[in-house]
Amino acid sequence: MSELKPTNQKAELLLKAAAEGHVPEVLAMESVAGCATTFDPGWEVDMFGGTASLCQPMEADLYGCSDPCWWPAQVPDTMNTYPDWDAGKPSAQGDWRELDAVFPKK
Amino acid sequence: MMPVKALTTAVAALCLIGAVAPAASAGDLIVTAAKPDRLYVIDAATRSVRSQFKVADAGSGLSTIVVAPNGRIAYALVGKMERIVGIDLHSGKTVFRAELSQSGERVKDFFGFTLTPDGRELIAYELPVLLKPSEYVVEEPRFAVFRTSAGLNARPVRSFPAPRRVHVLLMRPSGRSFYAIGFDVYEYDVRTGALLGTRGIIHWELPGHSQPDLLAFWPVTEPTGVFTSPISSEAKTAGGTEPRTGLMLLDLASGALKFQDFESAATVIFSSVLAPDRKTAFGAYTTLSRIDLERGTLAQRVDLDHTFYSINIATDGHELYLGGAMCDVAFYDPATLAKRSVLQLPGCADQALASLRVVHER
Repeated sequence: MSELKPTNQKAELLLKAAAEGHVPEVLAMESVAGCATTFDPGWEVDMFGGTASLCQPMEADLYGCSDPCWWPAQVPDTMNTYPDWDAGKPSAQGDWRELDAVFPKK
Repeated sequence: MMPVKALTTAVAALCLIGAVAPAASAGDLIVTAAKPDRLYVIDAATRSVRSQFKVADAGSGLSTIVVAPNGRIAYALVGKMERIVGIDLHSGKTVFRAELSQSGERVKDFFGFTLTPDGRELIAYELPVLLKPSEYVVEEPRFAVFRTSAGLNARPVRSFPAPRRVHVLLMRPSGRSFYAIGFDVYEYDVRTGALLGTRGIIHWELPGHSQPDLLAFWPVTEPTGVFTSPISSEAKTAGGTEPRTGLMLLDLASGALKFQDFESAATVIFSSVLAPDRKTAFGAYTTLSRIDLERGTLAQRVDLDHTFYSINIATDGHELYLGGAMCDVAFYDPATLAKRSVLQLPGCADQALASLRVVHER
């Protein structure tokens, strides 16, 4: 924990919990409601802060991220929210023009 | 290593689409899947698709694949991770089906399930959420045990508490217990559900190294019976810290757990496999790596044509198989890491997160 610096209030609460010995209560719970809540970098930048270790091409990683609701802010989540986003488009490299941006329903 | 006598005969017409049936040769069969609903059996000797099956109600695709010990049925996680089906690899017929979600309770299995060595029971990792009119109530995760003879409406015969953040379940050869890979390596009694032991991943203590982390989605233990996964940590240096990559090795028979640090983490490795000589491991992502486990060093690395999520190896160790992500399965020389061949799957649909499993035909 000493290597991490909180950048928002939630992160400060995590630090506080760690100091008080309550880390197990605030460990990231992946798949809380079917979605990953991963903190890993990886869509825009790789774990080293660059782009060389991202999936190549990026289409190779589209369905690997949309199917398990990985990085749902960056890739439409086909597990829950946009289940038909990839319908009829089994090849990300061939069908990428038809994989549209999505917008939350009002 | 699993015998697959059933696959040596011609495949049945039911659910079979455009099967290619070269002369059967004793060797490895590769089982993989592609979106949205295809299960493939590839003859590794001829590097050709032996059969492909359309899996009913697959949702957007198949992810984790576990082949029964007798090699006749491939179990796959489908339907947005809410359904497990068993597909007869001879006929393509669905012979097992378990709907994890029930009315009012949505259940996701985030990749993890396993089979007992006799193939009679299937254990699934369940993340249940109650869907109430005005709120979602996150329930505690659990292991649910199904009888594979239950047919197309399988319901759990027992369940027991499970830890959070589990992605891989691995049955031990004795059939008495299984491992769950999560924050740590947990071992559970198959019959009673008792937690038999917890060993480090986040509790891994290597002097000078931080708490490690790993991304383990691929339950590959063939051909050695050893599960491996890349593992990352930060090592203290004179000037600060350095990201390091290692390999976690879990021998399902002996229970031996080993962490082998081998390089500065300049390259990502997604999945790995142990060679039959147990001295060498291979890792894949956008590069292909050969890891010398005796010296604890990276022996060789080459660029791949594109990202492959998953890697496996021939039963005799003579060839590497790469799959996952896009629509091809690649064949590489383990000694030189030279590309030997590429097989594009029919229709070039993405494999995405599908497991790449190897069964041995005798």
